[in-house]
Amino acid sequence: MANIAVTREMKAAGAPPRLSGFGEWCDRHFKWLLVAPAVLLILALSIYPLLFSLVVSFINYDFQIPGHAFVGLKNFELVVFDPVARRALVLTAILSGTSVLIEFLLGLAVALTMMKSFRGRGLIMSILIVPLFISPVIVGQAFTLILQRPFGPTNYILSQILGGEVNISWLTESPWLYFSIILADVWQWTPFMFVILLAGLTAIPPNLFEAAELDGVNAWQVFWSITLPHLGPMILLAITFRLLDAIRLFDTIFIMTGGGPGTQTYTASYYLYTVGFTQFHLSQATAGSWLFLIITALVVTFLVRRLLKVETA
Amino acid sequence: MADVKIRGLHKRYGAFEAVRGIDLEIPDGEFTVLVGPSGCGKSTLLRTIAGLEDVSEGEIEIGGEIVNDMRPRDRDVAMVFQDYALYPHMTVAKNIGFGLKARKLPPAEIEARVQTAAAMLGITGLLGRYPRQISGGQRQRVAIGRAIVRSPRIFLFDEPLSNLDAQLRDEMRGEIKRLHRDISTTMIYVTHDQIEAMTLADRIVLMRDGLIEQQGAPLDLFERPATTFVAGFLGSPKMTFLPGRLSRNGTAASILVDGGLRLDLPAGRALGGAEGRSVIVGVRPEHIYRAADAAGPGEARLDAAIELLQPTGSRTYATFRIGGIPVTAELEAHDAGRPGDIVPLGINLNRVSLFDADTQRAI
Amino acid sequence: MAAATRPVRRRRRVRIPVARILLLGFFVAFVLVPLYWMFNTSIKPSDDYLAIPPVWWPSEPTLVHYEAALFAYRGLDGLINSVIVSTAATVLSALLGTLMAYSLARYNTGGQHLSFWVLSQRFLPPIAIVLPVFLIYRGIGIYDTHLGLILAYTVFTLPVSVWMMYAYFRGMPRSLEEAAMVDGCTRWRAFWTVAVPLAAPGIVAAAVFAFIACWTEFFFALLLTSRNAFTLPTVFRAFIGFQGAQYGEAAALAIVSLGPSIVLGVLAQRHLVRGLTLGAVRG
Repeated sequence: MANIAVTREMKAAGAPPRLSGFGEWCDRHFKWLLVAPAVLLILALSIYPLLFSLVVSFINYDFQIPGHAFVGLKNFELVVFDPVARRALVLTAILSGTSVLIEFLLGLAVALTMMKSFRGRGLIMSILIVPLFISPVIVGQAFTLILQRPFGPTNYILSQILGGEVNISWLTESPWLYFSIILADVWQWTPFMFVILLAGLTAIPPNLFEAAELDGVNAWQVFWSITLPHLGPMILLAITFRLLDAIRLFDTIFIMTGGGPGTQTYTASYYLYTVGFTQFHLSQATAGSWLFLIITALVVTFLVRRLLKVETA
Repeated sequence: MADVKIRGLHKRYGAFEAVRGIDLEIPDGEFTVLVGPSGCGKSTLLRTIAGLEDVSEGEIEIGGEIVNDMRPRDRDVAMVFQDYALYPHMTVAKNIGFGLKARKLPPAEIEARVQTAAAMLGITGLLGRYPRQISGGQRQRVAIGRAIVRSPRIFLFDEPLSNLDAQLRDEMRGEIKRLHRDISTTMIYVTHDQIEAMTLADRIVLMRDGLIEQQGAPLDLFERPATTFVAGFLGSPKMTFLPGRLSRNGTAASILVDGGLRLDLPAGRALGGAEGRSVIVGVRPEHIYRAADAAGPGEARLDAAIELLQPTGSRTYATFRIGGIPVTAELEAHDAGRPGDIVPLGINLNRVSLFDADTQRAI
Repeated sequence: MAAATRPVRRRRRVRIPVARILLLGFFVAFVLVPLYWMFNTSIKPSDDYLAIPPVWWPSEPTLVHYEAALFAYRGLDGLINSVIVSTAATVLSALLGTLMAYSLARYNTGGQHLSFWVLSQRFLPPIAIVLPVFLIYRGIGIYDTHLGLILAYTVFTLPVSVWMMYAYFRGMPRSLEEAAMVDGCTRWRAFWTVAVPLAAPGIVAAAVFAFIACWTEFFFALLLTSRNAFTLPTVFRAFIGFQGAQYGEAAALAIVSLGPSIVLGVLAQRHLVRGLTLGAVRG
């Protein structure tokens, strides 16, 4: 170990070169300059379009009717009093609620089985998360291939299992077509729940479980009084994120049923798409999308506030 | 090399004031240690000198120029951080030379300086390695090397030894002291460890709650603490504080300590104040010894029931009680006896500290 | 003292968690079955489509569908466009996102309002944006161009990029950048030469997620592109309708599309939870 025998031979290095005026200005406003590009982009492609669409909601903008006259609340009325719109909204709520619930229960069950490590866990993990990285359109396509009568094997397999002939048209027959849509959604997004809940489960300190085991508590009680309370915030987080995505359901509907038969599988987004891009009643569509935006904002606020309250508790 | 003058410094974070009005003058070439319990503002003060934090109020002057609005890079100071802050993606050589590169020195000169600094610190063999490949002590040297290589006018140390194990800490302490002896640059050193403060400092600045409690040479603070806080902070084991009352008997003064012990103050230690004045007597372990047969001048005697013994080799710390308060005495190992023994002890009243109980200040 | 008794030897029975194996097995099968059937369909000759019982594995696998999907249905063009658009948007998103995240993490720029505003963009229903953007793009002539989609995708992936990098920067000690500044760097230089190299793993992870999001996106691409800049997911439009002849092509295209996103996703597994929850949770 050398001692620090030092001579004073090194001159002072002094201060670094002074910054130019521009450099000075940049350094002083550094933090704002960093956020500027992103903020500008969001303003240009998110806020501005939103405001633009708000304006369009109040005028006539329709490829079928000329002119851009101010029409007050007419566009909003068209949407609110359209029975198809109302049914679409209800269907959106039912489909997303059901899907998220199933995804949650299934995801929780799988997460619980994957808690302890075992051989092959890594491989299974990699397999289970695959659905998350697939385009929803492809997921819809895949299930169409399976369910489609007569090319898909579903009816055949069910016939074999149940003994009798099964000849359901899974993509056009009510109520089976709702089942198909939910199936596709569950297939794709259960891993989402599973991954997040697993993260929450592994974050529970293991000595809580060890203490319970020593105390002789049975598995069911452990689940209710230790696991579930600790998982609470995570559950809320997962459900919030998933629900907010689920209400936008469009891609799978587009591919699997095309909204049909008729308008039976219109979700809110699909309805607005139809009005705006197939019928070209653009101002009606923007009015509807603003209503949908407000509903979404209410749901977001409600859920996020609950989420924040839980986090700070 | 430069001196540092701080006037009326305040630093606020919203409603919280970390530094509440500091005036400090550090002469050129001095080794100043800012010490105190966590939260006292010492690190904040250091960082404002470095320029890493803005000043809410007051002035900082380095080498005669006011640097409040100067960026860290322009102040010509170097800083050694607690977690060494070595750039993990650069070799040791590049780490050391980083500041020189930022100053656009020619590569040949950078190389030369880096070699010199590495040679001084005994880390020449490590120049090609990465920080993750070297030990904690070696990393600390690299951090110091990075500071030396620029020959800055001030060195700042922010608790540099806290992350090292005890043995390394002792070693590095000596090295830093030697470094200062050899290059005599102004050094400002922050620590919470009073041993580091005592051994390294030319001057100690003891801080508490954003203010300077006392500053001066280490022995000054140790032997003549201005407040009970200073007295209790320096020295290990800690000083024991015994509350008591002043009692006059003609020209003689004595203190009646709670628990019945009477301390007759020697002539040299006059005490003002009325009869019954509340005082605190501060006794360090080294002020207590095994009493000889004859009582010496300025000595208080008592028979102590030893409760606890902690031998450290040549010395043993014996704990007993006065008026219910546990007191630790530093005795020769063979004087200590066994737990439960009654041992005659003497307290050197010439050396004890006396404080006013209301103001906590020395009297 | 009583004589010591022989300890009772308990035979350790390995309890095979039957329920766990069943559930996991079922779920793994559940995940794999659609993928298997899709692959199966893509290499099945068309004659086998209507076979009953269904053909589980073709005796004469063929690549005819792949060829048709890529060329006759212009799948290859879609693929190329997807690569261009996704890569460009990913780079832009990672860059802008990292810059903004650094500012938010180190300086708390804009306080709660700015961060909440950026976060909330993630939950904006696309339909509300796409309609006006469609009109705007047509107005300024970037409808059906790479540029138009790249810009839209950048905005669309920014919130996740920002939030992943924000969490990452918060986890990095400031002392490195402070050391750089005391050593002689300006803030920008300290950011670029010290903070960014150190954040490289996080940036890569954010980029992977952004890429996957762009690669799999359908809605924006559907409405903002047409014959020129259409992306891979939009090609599936051609397969809608109940004519069986195209199923092989649809399946083939799907398999082609799956490749990159699955590979990337599995590689980025470690950062998965962070990406899914916008950095709110460390996986």
